[in-house]
Amino acid sequence: MVGRETNPNFMNGVPELLILRLLAQQEMYGYEIVQAIRSGTDAVIAVGEGVVYPVLHGLERDGALTSRRKKVSGRSRVYYAVTRAGSRRLADLSETWTNLAGAIQKMLTGGQYGEAVR
Amino acid sequence: MAKPFGELREHLLRAGVAPRHVRRYLNELSDHLADLRAEEERAGRGRANAESAALTRLGTMDDLGKAMIDQRQFQSWSARAPWAIFGLGPLCILAGAWFVALFILWSGWQIFMPGANTPFVGLIDGWAILYFGLGRLLYFGGPIFIGWGMGVVAARQRLNALWPTVGVALIALIAGVAQVHANRPSPGVVGHVSLGFALGTSVQDISTLLFHILVILALAVLPWPWLLWRRAKSLAA
Repeated sequence: MVGRETNPNFMNGVPELLILRLLAQQEMYGYEIVQAIRSGTDAVIAVGEGVVYPVLHGLERDGALTSRRKKVSGRSRVYYAVTRAGSRRLADLSETWTNLAGAIQKMLTGGQYGEAVR
Repeated sequence: MAKPFGELREHLLRAGVAPRHVRRYLNELSDHLADLRAEEERAGRGRANAESAALTRLGTMDDLGKAMIDQRQFQSWSARAPWAIFGLGPLCILAGAWFVALFILWSGWQIFMPGANTPFVGLIDGWAILYFGLGRLLYFGGPIFIGWGMGVVAARQRLNALWPTVGVALIALIAGVAQVHANRPSPGVVGHVSLGFALGTSVQDISTLLFHILVILALAVLPWPWLLWRRAKSLAA
């Protein structure tokens, strides 16, 4: 994740989607989330690791996440978990991105336009 | 907190991010940096190299700052609406403090000197000293404490001096021209207390008012040089 160029506009909404997807499975703290994104996307998705926190805090403020402090191995960590509103947001974002990815894939492989969006 | 975050903290505060959000962000970044450093050390890097690699992975200070500043919801109210925090808010607080002070004056008058024509005359003792003292503290101290509060908020959030200066000047002006009146229309009738504002008519009145305003202003901004010095010292460190 070091020194990789990203397109902020195109990446808009991607960190939220990935974070919500990961946290829908289990609660995690920031470092865990970033490592999970890195391994889950084979380091294709490039974000500075620290910038995950404003996204987490923003989602929490929107009511999509909750946080709690937990002591693990002598260290206090902030764990995040998805709320009911967060699950709904994940479903919406997933649908949008699935449609978009399908459409782009279709265009790249030269398929019929009508088949692109399900 | 790791040293590099001192610069980031200043950057965020100057950009208007609320101090509590800055504190939380930097705490989590510090934890994250410690995890990254440990990971790099486990991978066989020396301490200095591990620290450097961890900082690189965490992101540049510009990126870390931008990510937080772009989230407008984390802006402090002082940045979003300085007119409210340094104008309307202090005026409401002053109005509240003066309301309580006038109530203390009026009730103390009824309790401790029910026969007097005004609460401003006569010797008082015992509980009356404490009771009226509290009222005086609120009335005279209110504008000064509010000025101190504005200074603390401005220093804490790295604001420029414009709005706090406007706010404290407004408070000093109002406090300087305010006058408390108390009278009992006739013996046996409950007296009443009121607050008025007078600019004066003669040159002497106006110069006295100006002197009052300047004294209140000077007292209200008294801790500001100390706050600025502390801020400069923490920046230099």
